[in-house]
Amino acid sequence: MRSIARFLAAKLARLTLLLSAVAVLSFVLVSFSPVDPIDAYLGPSILKVSPEQRERIAERWGLDRPATERLARWAGQLARGNFGESTIFNEPVLSVIGKRFAASFWLMLLAWSFSGVLGFALGLVAGAREGSRVDRAIRLYAYTMASTPTFWVGMVLLTFFSVQLGWTPVCCAGPVGMDPADVPLLTRLHHLLLPAVTLSLIGVAQIALHTREKTIEAMHSDYVLFARAQGDTTRGIVLRHALRNVMLPAVTLQFASLGELFGGAVLAEQVFSYPGLGRATVEAGYRGDVPLLLGIVLFSAVFVFVGNMIADLLYLVVDPRMRDAGREGV
Amino acid sequence: MKKCLLNISVHVLFALVSFALVSPALAVKDTLVLAVGGESAEGYDPILGWGVYGNPLFQSTLLKRDAKLQIIPDLAESWSLSDDRITWTVTIRKDAVFSDGTPLRASDVAFTFNKALVAGGNIDLTPLDRADATGDFTVALTLKEPDITFMQHMITLGIVPEKGYTPQYGRNPIGSGPYKLVRWDEGQQMIVEANDLYYGEKPAIKRLVFLFSGEDAALAAARAGQADVLGVPSNLAGQAIPGMRLHVVKSVDNRGLMFPTVPDEGKKTPKGVRIGNTVTADPAIRKAVNYAINRELLVSGVLDGYGNPAFGVVDNLPWDNPAIRFKDNDPDKARAILDAAGWKDSDGDGVREKNGLKAEFTIVYNAKDSLRQGLALAVSDMLRPVGITAIPRGENWDRIKTELTHSNVVVYGFGDHSPLEMYKLYHTPGPEPMYWNAGFYSNPVVDGYLEQARAAESFDASLPLWQKAQWDGTTGFTTPGDAAWVWMVNLDHTYFVNTCLDVGQSQMEPHGHGWPITANIHQWKWICN
Repeated sequence: MRSIARFLAAKLARLTLLLSAVAVLSFVLVSFSPVDPIDAYLGPSILKVSPEQRERIAERWGLDRPATERLARWAGQLARGNFGESTIFNEPVLSVIGKRFAASFWLMLLAWSFSGVLGFALGLVAGAREGSRVDRAIRLYAYTMASTPTFWVGMVLLTFFSVQLGWTPVCCAGPVGMDPADVPLLTRLHHLLLPAVTLSLIGVAQIALHTREKTIEAMHSDYVLFARAQGDTTRGIVLRHALRNVMLPAVTLQFASLGELFGGAVLAEQVFSYPGLGRATVEAGYRGDVPLLLGIVLFSAVFVFVGNMIADLLYLVVDPRMRDAGREGV
Repeated sequence: MKKCLLNISVHVLFALVSFALVSPALAVKDTLVLAVGGESAEGYDPILGWGVYGNPLFQSTLLKRDAKLQIIPDLAESWSLSDDRITWTVTIRKDAVFSDGTPLRASDVAFTFNKALVAGGNIDLTPLDRADATGDFTVALTLKEPDITFMQHMITLGIVPEKGYTPQYGRNPIGSGPYKLVRWDEGQQMIVEANDLYYGEKPAIKRLVFLFSGEDAALAAARAGQADVLGVPSNLAGQAIPGMRLHVVKSVDNRGLMFPTVPDEGKKTPKGVRIGNTVTADPAIRKAVNYAINRELLVSGVLDGYGNPAFGVVDNLPWDNPAIRFKDNDPDKARAILDAAGWKDSDGDGVREKNGLKAEFTIVYNAKDSLRQGLALAVSDMLRPVGITAIPRGENWDRIKTELTHSNVVVYGFGDHSPLEMYKLYHTPGPEPMYWNAGFYSNPVVDGYLEQARAAESFDASLPLWQKAQWDGTTGFTTPGDAAWVWMVNLDHTYFVNTCLDVGQSQMEPHGHGWPITANIHQWKWICN
């Protein structure tokens, strides 16, 4: 129990450090951005607005103060839990993130579990049948996908399934003109399908290749040789011996891939006009919405960090060796 | 048994077919799906600038413009300007009610104007000093100095309720306009319904769905028959969409070449932007460009025919001066002007020079905008035969604004329903003009007309003054005078509209394609059964 408490305390300290570093770095990067947030905000009505009014807008957003002061004030407010107001949505940053993440969450969850399960299964099959045609086919697929950008896959799928075949909707999280509250679950899934498939097709590659390596390693181990000598079938060996050993690295990888999932979601949402956090990120960047951008950066940092931490915790749960090692260390 | 099954299936089939045949006739079309943009990310709050392009939809305005752009009353019953031209006294109608049932009073009008003045949004009420409710139904708007262009704010600023206005208003707008917001899924769509409490003519279309899903998705939705009105850029207007017809709307959404009108003397603005270009500072060069280019060809070649030649910044608006039209595509006249001004090709390389200076300048355009690129390239080709070298160069807006705009020719787009824009483009600028009069054009006579026009006693009285600023018979900023700019084209805004939908007579649209088509939405009718 104490070890868990210590583990959490250490993690928390690290998280605080990480977040401050991420915050300062992002702020510095954003302040070098060539985007003038006021121009971006005014859009075509730039010409209707006098320099006096520009000053007023700058004042409303606090842009009239020097960058260091803005960073300090922002950090001070953040410490009190205030993420500030998004300049483009004119709404508290947290409420923007909350709304958008709710949409992204299902997309990411679906893609994540799909790619995890499928990738793991493919990796096992390929590893158990090393060198076979199945293995080669899976590897070819994995290498192709690993080197393909998400948005391209998205566009190809969109052209084929939505435009040519008309099986899936072209955009959005629900049908046109329908109150989202009235959209049936099935319809919602239908709209989610293609973006989620796009995301998971890509995610499959990494986990499959990794699992394959680990499976091959296990299949060449002494205990597998021993099992074989006892007359066990390949299928039995994989299920009873290799599976457990391979599971551990796969779990780590799956949770560690949350960062990539986040990045992939940004692109997939852009392609499918899916109104999630990814699109909000792009807009915040294009239009120089510093509070929102920083909020999203911090949020995603926490998201990825928590993913990694869950992986660490699962180690303790899944692997008896780790538990013992932990006890010895105390 | 088998026969029985067959029988049933035939019945079912028949029922389905008849349903499919009958249902379109049964359905009363009261919902329209519009893909014309118009999402205001920060909400539908007029105080932060919602509605600056007109027609705030949820709110109503004191005045409005009809299809011919004449000013007509909306909330206001009568309005008058004091003799010192400082104070507007507006009497509002007594039957106006917000969509939540509370009556609209003069105090709400005063609150809206006062709040918008200080809120720091996308609307500039700087000329206003203060607004006071002088009675339940009269409001006084006091200006800092006479300014007739302030009327534009009376036309575009939607009135919000004083009670119940919070910073969250934009997500839950309560107004006295023809429609009320039902639901807005940000980044996706917005559903609005007719406001039963609206005092004006009730719209025939009861429910509107605005799609915000981006151009490609909107086009796909229209092809699938899911959208009734679709705004498209003119390069996509050539296609055929089943069940839709093309609706072309004239606009003052213009494109022109801004010329630096002062020579390069090494001066810079306070922010360090270089000022001046010695070649374009010569009016002969600017006039020659104006006469040499072929605007009809620009329209047919670059705009695919969806546009009109532009000769000024306010073509066909009430304050346009028809006397400024001239015959373009006249290289001989351009050559004569250049010859007379001393620009001669003495070394035989096809480019004229004067005092050792080549007739050469760069045309900078926003690299993201293929239309502006097309115009810059075409103009460059048209100028070569008269001995002027124009080098097209794509740049991003930021570099244009912070480095290039005061010392290079730049392709700009303007066009507004207020003559204030003309004032800002041609009145002698301040030290840091940014986009306003980036060429540092200055003519005291023009300044005089522009100032008098702004200070006029009524909008009608200002019209001849705006026209004189363009050309008074001896001077002006247009081509017969100083030729400060070279206006090239006015775009047409292109929409696909369901063949069953009558969208009436559209207003001539300002810069900005999409939302303005909704200006007469209360007149739209579904004409099929």
